[in-house]
Amino acid sequence: MDPISEKHLQDSRSQGVMIAIICAGTLFSAIIAMGLGSSSTLDSISTIKIMLGLEDGSDLQNAIIWELRFPRVLMAVIGGAALGTAGVLMQGSLGSPLVSPLTLGVASGAALGAAFAIVLGFSMDPEVMIVAIAFLFSLAVVAIIVKLGNMRSVSAESYILVGIAITFISGAIVSTFTYFATDAQLSQLANWSYGSLSRPSLSDVIWASAAIICLIPSAMRWAWDLNTLSLGGDDFAISSGVDPSTTRRDILILSALMTSIVISFTGLIGFVGLAAPHMGRLVIGNDYRKLIPCSAVFGSFLMLFADTVGRTIFAPVIIPAGIILAIIGGPFFMYLLLQDRGVKI
Amino acid sequence: MTSLLKIEGLKFSWGANQILDNINLEISGNEFVAVLGVNGAGKSTFLKCINRILTPSNGTIAISGNNISDMSLMNLSKATAYVPQSIKTNFSMHVFDIVMLGRRPHISWRISEDDRERVSETLRFLELEDFAFRNFDMLSGGERQRVIIAKAVAQDPQLFLLDEPTSDLDLRNQISIMKKIRQVVSDVKSEKSAIVAIHDINMAARFADRIVLLDRGVIKADGTPSEVLTEANIEDVFGVSCEIIPEKYERVSPRIIIKDEIEI
Repeated sequence: MDPISEKHLQDSRSQGVMIAIICAGTLFSAIIAMGLGSSSTLDSISTIKIMLGLEDGSDLQNAIIWELRFPRVLMAVIGGAALGTAGVLMQGSLGSPLVSPLTLGVASGAALGAAFAIVLGFSMDPEVMIVAIAFLFSLAVVAIIVKLGNMRSVSAESYILVGIAITFISGAIVSTFTYFATDAQLSQLANWSYGSLSRPSLSDVIWASAAIICLIPSAMRWAWDLNTLSLGGDDFAISSGVDPSTTRRDILILSALMTSIVISFTGLIGFVGLAAPHMGRLVIGNDYRKLIPCSAVFGSFLMLFADTVGRTIFAPVIIPAGIILAIIGGPFFMYLLLQDRGVKI
Repeated sequence: MTSLLKIEGLKFSWGANQILDNINLEISGNEFVAVLGVNGAGKSTFLKCINRILTPSNGTIAISGNNISDMSLMNLSKATAYVPQSIKTNFSMHVFDIVMLGRRPHISWRISEDDRERVSETLRFLELEDFAFRNFDMLSGGERQRVIIAKAVAQDPQLFLLDEPTSDLDLRNQISIMKKIRQVVSDVKSEKSAIVAIHDINMAARFADRIVLLDRGVIKADGTPSEVLTEANIEDVFGVSCEIIPEKYERVSPRIIIKDEIEI
């Protein structure tokens, strides 16, 4: 084999090992997170032993592990992976490092849909209805972005400005809903405006996990197309056999679906979709065949980190993961914006 | 015998602005065709229509007898490769991985050993082996252009479409790139051809087998460099006076000395 080919093969294998290490690290973090919390009756070791069936836990311990911590940690892993994947897909399909479900307004669109469903108060399958309406609203945002993406010479700033406009409009409508909501709905809306992993029940999390686990692998089929589209734009993609319009549309719909599922259960959580892909790029580069799984794993890690910090730093008071992520994510977005403008920091 | 490229009655317009009007052209294998014309003459539009980046308003384009509008983009990209003037990207990759994108139309997901070997061969052919694992955005303009051409060569198409491949390059790099394209086209076994939109008349005269002179969207002249590059044609199309030093046995192409702009 040619030495250049051999080096490429070796590099690919090393990157595979690196992804495996990051996966193992995230899994380890999830186990640690399961053992952390305000309960004095449960330490990390006992938690692991009870989970593996090596020790019989009390009813209280079992309830804490299986009804409180497990859904929360699983939601962090699955939700983070979904938002990380949605973010990397959006960045690749639009060729901009600044876009994400939050900055494009897709998350705000989904949030508006979910708020709408809460105020309408469906009696049959309320969770399913919230997800469905959140998805429909996020699709409306996607339709605007697809239209914008198919125009020639659209800058990254245009996407962000449209995202800001959508976020403002959604926020204003959600605020209007509060005037018509009942006390219970008002509390649900207020609770929902900051993303938290304490909200979803075990059945919610299992439902969301099943959907996300089916959707993330389907993102991989676009990895090659994203490589051409993100590297050289539409003309380069067409020359490589990729139809940029349909590819962008399909990818954005998938991203919107993943975002809606997570947001419907957790409330508005941002910045995972922006930061996780950039962490992935730093470690693995811009090849989407490796970057998609890597962003998903970093998304899980970020969400776990934010949730664990939120529930341990001022324990027993719990700061929602959405707030922690916003505190970390705001400066990170400013950093990206300045870097994009060529400002050295 | 079926021609490699056959264009009949090609028209393209942006709104009311007619960019290409009734273009008819036939190209066979092993032809290096230079497309000359002033800015806005329709050179880039012409190339983009052949690759379906732009959709013509009228006319047919067939590659090896197949109408391109009936072909899938994937099959079309096996037959043609387009090289843009330059690429600006937010997401840089290693040179090897960019050239590997040329194999995209030939692979479904997994990179085979053969694909890797083809990319390595192409990198050596374009003297890029030392840059194989460097990031694209760390390269100079000339090196980047060579990478994009390498991607097109790795794509293994029948027809190369190059849009001003030498526009941002110094003299040495201009000659080097034109020589490489010439070398690919001259390989009689593969019967590949190239259409190159270019501004440098002398470069076109030196390397092309055939020159197509575009003037306001129509073909003003089509033939060998000696037939097309006449003082009258150059004055008419470019609005400059010139002196042609004809080809001689020791020099295979005519040389054009541009004198001054003229009143049109």
